[in-house]
Amino acid sequence: MTARDDVLAAIRAADVPAAPAASVPTAIVDRTDLHAAFLRVLTVVGGVGAVLSPGQSVPQLVSELLGAIGAQAVIVPGRFAVAENGAVYVDSDDVTARIAIVLAEHLVVVVPHAAIVPTMHEAVRLMPAESRCGWFLSGPSKTADIEQSLVFGAQGSRTHCVVFDIATGVG
Amino acid sequence: MTGHPAAAARFLDDAARAAWHDQSLWFMRQKRDRGSALPEWESLRFAGSALKAHAMSRLADLLEEFERRATANGVVVHWARDAREHNAIVLGILRTAHVTRVSKSKSMLTEECGLNPFLEAQGIEVVDTDLGERIVQLAGEAPSHIVIPAIHWKREEIGALFHRTMGTPAGETSPDALAAAARVHLRDALLHAGAGITGANALVAETGGVVVCTNEGNADLGMHSAPIHIACVGIEKIIATRDDLGVLLRLLARSGTGQPVTAYTTHVTAPRPGAAMHVVLVDNGRTARLADAAMRTALHCIRCGACLNTCPVYRRSGGYSYGTVIQGPIGAILAPAIDLDAHQALPYASTLCGSCVDVCPVRIDIPAQLLAWRARGAAAGRLPRGYGIVFEVLRRVLGTPATFARATRWARRVQRLVPAAWLSGRWNPWTRPGRALPVLADESFREWARRERNQP
Repeated sequence: MTARDDVLAAIRAADVPAAPAASVPTAIVDRTDLHAAFLRVLTVVGGVGAVLSPGQSVPQLVSELLGAIGAQAVIVPGRFAVAENGAVYVDSDDVTARIAIVLAEHLVVVVPHAAIVPTMHEAVRLMPAESRCGWFLSGPSKTADIEQSLVFGAQGSRTHCVVFDIATGVG
Repeated sequence: MTGHPAAAARFLDDAARAAWHDQSLWFMRQKRDRGSALPEWESLRFAGSALKAHAMSRLADLLEEFERRATANGVVVHWARDAREHNAIVLGILRTAHVTRVSKSKSMLTEECGLNPFLEAQGIEVVDTDLGERIVQLAGEAPSHIVIPAIHWKREEIGALFHRTMGTPAGETSPDALAAAARVHLRDALLHAGAGITGANALVAETGGVVVCTNEGNADLGMHSAPIHIACVGIEKIIATRDDLGVLLRLLARSGTGQPVTAYTTHVTAPRPGAAMHVVLVDNGRTARLADAAMRTALHCIRCGACLNTCPVYRRSGGYSYGTVIQGPIGAILAPAIDLDAHQALPYASTLCGSCVDVCPVRIDIPAQLLAWRARGAAAGRLPRGYGIVFEVLRRVLGTPATFARATRWARRVQRLVPAAWLSGRWNPWTRPGRALPVLADESFREWARRERNQP
């Protein structure tokens, strides 16, 4: 018997009684202005963000939000945003290298304006089925391992910026 | 005294430090309370419990489904019966690729298996890359908390450690400066490792995905830079669907640190082009636990740390007093299954106040299992030393109301006659300097009631 056979046999021998699949609870959230809710949480988790104004370019808004460091920022597309936790979903198909997500000192994620959901319940269903790697990113890298003092820029990004792009939000 | 009571007594000898530790953990508990203030929180916890019970009831099928999808995506899936096999598999992968330096993000499973000392004995350098884990690793210690490994370290001590090991200026104690030094130190280790080892917060059968949650981004730096990614995972980490993942992710960080979600939640199903990805599925006692109906739900644990942060005993005795890889209330019900002799005192490291089950995101009834382990220990003749006599005395005194009334009358008399200092002396394990025996009331409730009733 291989280890695989042994482990699977031991599990089946344990004869755990059937338990039904969990049903997804209904989230009680205010859905009136998801972008405002998202941006509020994003600030709490240490990120910055804004909705692109008509006629404004992404680099313009980024330099407005980040100042001089905006020019060094790595800009990646995000698929959608999650209002409850300030997270954006980025898929590895949309970036040149996976490592870029954590190697970038300053990360800007551009998300279509219409692509926002209230909670993770909707978000997990939007994860692409064929994805090879994807991230929910909520704010910059952080640590509180030294006496629980919150420090941003622990090992990954120091700055995390989310831009909602109205132009790509159509359709 | 031996085991947990003795270690806890030593921890409490430094009263100021013990109070600081207590407050640090209570701060975590308060963050959890704020973070979990969602209207649907309780239904989320029920869903968390249900999705885990469902996964345990279909464990073999789900693991096979995960393996099928992962293998199709180019992931190599390994199975290990125990810690020894797990370590041998990891070593085999590293040896084949001539790797001599690995980075490792937080994984309680690899702590459980003793992977670090094993690999180091084989000449392979392991750098723990979570900042807290790196602190304790540099100090030659083990984590004292599953989520915040260096919670027992003060900034001055970390400053001195980093001065010695990373060359930070002497006397540097600013968390910003120390974390900045660690960033340089850890990025160097991460980007020059031949393999990146990670744990997993979940395996999703429906997607074939390995889910890793960190705040620092260290797991991502490790797995996406090295040519090899090895995820070491206990078989109980599997969940059925992406819907289950949504529930789990809403519960995990809120319960652990009060955050709405961790900064990085990585869902990886396939290696990047040109790289290799391995998943090692480990049993190491989990199937035995699964067969133990009364204790099975301990496998539902998602390692958020909430029960540690809330536990009055953990907060006042420190992680090391448990002498286990997983500390606190959840550790006290996991460890006796591994070795009842060695951990016979742990089911008593609790007041059974029930705070742990109230905060547990998957509603594990920890107090019930603590009690069940006490019963098993007693039935197996493995009561901690001295407990047998105490229990016999309590049985006789509490067994009949008349004896109890006589005993308390007697105790009140003794307390009046004997000096208080003697009653709280070193012979009494329930008292310490600053924690004397409470003074008994002049009369019992029954006596008071009788007197009141007889008044005209």
